[in-house]
Amino acid sequence: MSARAWACAGLVVVVAIVLTIVLWPRSATPSTSARVESIASELRCPDCESQSIAQSSTPTARAARADIRRRIEAGQSDADIRQAYIDKFGESILWKPESGGIGILVWGLPVAALILGGAGLAFALARWRREPRLHATDADERLVEQQRAAE
Amino acid sequence: MRHRVRWIALSAAVIVAALAVVLALQVGDDPRADASRSQLTGTIAPSFDLPTLDGTSVRSADLRGKVVLVNFWNSWCAPCQEEHPALVEFFERHADEPGFAMVGIVRHDTREAIRSFVDEEGVPYTVAFDPGSRAAFDYGTRGQPETYALAPDGVIEASKIGPSSLGQLEQMYRVAKGSA
Amino acid sequence: MKASLGVLALALGTSATVLGVGTLALGLYRRDERLLRAGRRYVFLVLAAAVLAVGVMEWALLSHDFSIEYVAENNARATPLLFTITGLWAALEGSILLWGLILGGYLAVMAYKFRDRATDPLVAWATLTGLVVALFFFGLMLGPANPFKTLGTAPLDGRGPNPLLQNHPLMAFHPPMLYLGYVGFTVPFSFAIASLVTGRFGEGWLADTRRATLVAWGFLTTGIILGAWWSYEVLGWGGYWAWDPVENASLLPWLTATAFIHSVIVQERRGMLRVWNLSLVIATFCLTILGTFLTRSGVLNSVHSFTESTIGPVLLGFLGFVAAVGIGLIAWRGDRLRAPGRIDSPVSRESAFLANNLLFAGLAFVVLLGTVYPLLAEAIQGRELSVGEPYFDRMTTPIGIALLFLMAAAPALPWRATSGEVLRRRLLVPAWAGALAMLVAVALGARELAQVLTFGLAAFAVGGIVRQFWLGQRSLGLVRAVRGNPRLYGGLVVHVGVVLVALAIASSSVYTTRREVRLTRGQSAEVRGYEVTYLGSRTERGDQKTTVSARIRVERGGDDLGTYAPAISTFPGTPQGIGTPSVRTGLREDVYLTLISSPNRQGRVTIGVAVNPMILWLWVGGGVMAIGTLLALTPGSRRPRIARPAPAAVEEPVEPVGAPV
Repeated sequence: MSARAWACAGLVVVVAIVLTIVLWPRSATPSTSARVESIASELRCPDCESQSIAQSSTPTARAARADIRRRIEAGQSDADIRQAYIDKFGESILWKPESGGIGILVWGLPVAALILGGAGLAFALARWRREPRLHATDADERLVEQQRAAE
Repeated sequence: MRHRVRWIALSAAVIVAALAVVLALQVGDDPRADASRSQLTGTIAPSFDLPTLDGTSVRSADLRGKVVLVNFWNSWCAPCQEEHPALVEFFERHADEPGFAMVGIVRHDTREAIRSFVDEEGVPYTVAFDPGSRAAFDYGTRGQPETYALAPDGVIEASKIGPSSLGQLEQMYRVAKGSA
Repeated sequence: MKASLGVLALALGTSATVLGVGTLALGLYRRDERLLRAGRRYVFLVLAAAVLAVGVMEWALLSHDFSIEYVAENNARATPLLFTITGLWAALEGSILLWGLILGGYLAVMAYKFRDRATDPLVAWATLTGLVVALFFFGLMLGPANPFKTLGTAPLDGRGPNPLLQNHPLMAFHPPMLYLGYVGFTVPFSFAIASLVTGRFGEGWLADTRRATLVAWGFLTTGIILGAWWSYEVLGWGGYWAWDPVENASLLPWLTATAFIHSVIVQERRGMLRVWNLSLVIATFCLTILGTFLTRSGVLNSVHSFTESTIGPVLLGFLGFVAAVGIGLIAWRGDRLRAPGRIDSPVSRESAFLANNLLFAGLAFVVLLGTVYPLLAEAIQGRELSVGEPYFDRMTTPIGIALLFLMAAAPALPWRATSGEVLRRRLLVPAWAGALAMLVAVALGARELAQVLTFGLAAFAVGGIVRQFWLGQRSLGLVRAVRGNPRLYGGLVVHVGVVLVALAIASSSVYTTRREVRLTRGQSAEVRGYEVTYLGSRTERGDQKTTVSARIRVERGGDDLGTYAPAISTFPGTPQGIGTPSVRTGLREDVYLTLISSPNRQGRVTIGVAVNPMILWLWVGGGVMAIGTLLALTPGSRRPRIARPAPAAVEEPVEPVGAPV
């Protein structure tokens, strides 16, 4: 194997090691504070614009953080807590829309669009490769050249 | 396939037009005013035990059996000042009724500011403070003013987010009383 | 008097646009060259009228002429000079006036630059389009958004600008930059429309507007970064980007414009993507109008929407008109526009540009959808929903990382086709740099996939850029190489700025520590290695505001890092206190202090302490992007055209078309 081939193989190994470490499942249960932070960051601060309960320092946001902590200590699950907030403030308290129902639009459409776009691109590339230069005749090419030269 | 661009342009036009219709529908529609009723309407009101301006305390448990009007307010919010005369008049109409109580819970304000507001403008009903904003949070308030009418069994029968008129207050009161 | 003068200037501007449009239209219809030459001159009259109107407004602001409603609402006697001047863009009407001035400026530069081609139908149509846009904005000012509306009786003192807008000198630069960006896209838009109307769909209009597009893009980039900086320094929640509708509105045209300045290279090289490029330009312009509509009509809540007004329907109508014209023209001309181009290999520069465009378009779609989704949900189901940071973070991170990968790998790809051998030779060293960076990040404890990938790809990209500069140095000497192809090297410098921004975002989004501490005088608390001590507070009462500031000493490992003074100000007429954070900026991390509550009766204050890593590099990255744009704008020693770097051309024979990779 040449030095370059070794270097390529080494690269693959290093990247594989890094990804293994990063993606290795971590089973540690999150601390209460971490859970408060993670739930609060997905709830909209009810009396300010464009901030989550985790970020805001309004009295309501602080009361909400204290409330989330109490609920966690009382043994409620994350889903219970979220539901309690929906019941209290309405669905718009969720900073991240739910994926069910009409939520499929906001979560699914971009993914679908990207997949469709990617597939379209791949299809076009494959066609171009299969049919080398079928679409453009020399006359076409000349026209293009003339047009470009003219401007 | 001959007019591919035309078809794509047509679908783009349809999408843009749909978006424009949606946007046009919302113009002039204040997003803040959309929900004028609290989510908690129809449920048992959260309990509270709050210190009042005159140094005593007000407990929700003691108010059971009465129709209670709970108003969240403070000295600096303009809509609160706007609805203040209506609140005072409403209270004075019903103050003598034995089965009626009214509490103004202060939301996000200092004791000093409330004291001088009360001295200048007069607030005849109970003014309660809300340390740590517990009550404001428990009621799911998003701002002030917000008004809640509680039936004698403690259920929130009617609510209003934003300033209320005298007529609206009377209406809420009738609803809360009627269900008793 | 000033008001009448101002209205007169606006009327002058409006009639100049009407006359200009009329003359040009007649000239084009009759093919009369004299009319075309005459029509073009009205552009300068429009600019003069805009300068006059802005001058009158500034005069009124500086002389505190409260008989004009706008001045009374956005100025007070005690407003400092700087914020008196910036009062021009403190609210909607003045902003539109500024918009008109900038548009007049761009159109005048355009008319001057093309003075020798005034009779060219392409230029005439472009000027006409620009004037129609100007007509809309002047009409807006004469009608529903009149900045010179007078009050029956002038109040003794004005209300003063919104407190948030008179808090930081960045306010003087951020909005004008943003407008210079937004409005600049009118030039490529006008030429795109002209090219569609005249049927001259070659690459001519691209070459003509290349600089205008880059200038607009550079201003928009700078404006967005300055806006983030302003948020960070003023709003006090510790972040710089909240995915707020106003922020999204500025990001949307930036995304499509960025897609455009990449895909335009493919059209220049290969004559492909014509319809796509025209669509991108038109979309960019539409998105600037949509952004103005979303943020000014009050359909969405925002931390930045300081004014709401009744011009929503008018803006929506104009948006509909522009979109209809653009889409209609493309539908009419599009099928004839399609070029016979083809792409030979999926691993080539042009394929990478296509992928880049797919991702940028996807990103723009995500941002647009997330921004308008609450409106859609309400219209369709009557449900009140909100979309915020968690959604945008989740959706944009993968796309951002994919774009970073393209940015690292694509500049090394040759045009048309390539072989594995070439790829290995060009990418091996940069890729190793990336792999080592990931290794170091993991060794230092990073465990979030997105962060580790960002660090790795950043190093990968920098490796590739360094290689490119090194090749330039070796073949021609750096100065000659850069002068020979300023667009390539300018672009690479912009990429360095993007890397810095990406690093700052990746670090600050994960490693931020935020705490709230309650302190009495002399007490201290420790937050991630920093010791903060509350030294005392001070209350300053002025006519305009009352400010309570707390003095906080920041130390680290016994070193005094200085005393900072986060504050809360209260303004008369605005009840809620406005916090002013105080930031200790560092190369590695910032200490971000906010006063959450002023001293209570026991003399205790609540201080928000956040340690935000790498934030400084966000602003530096923005600066580097601006410098790169400037570099790309310098006239090259040959016709600026992205080409394969000279040495590479010698090194590698191009693979035969269609060869397996």
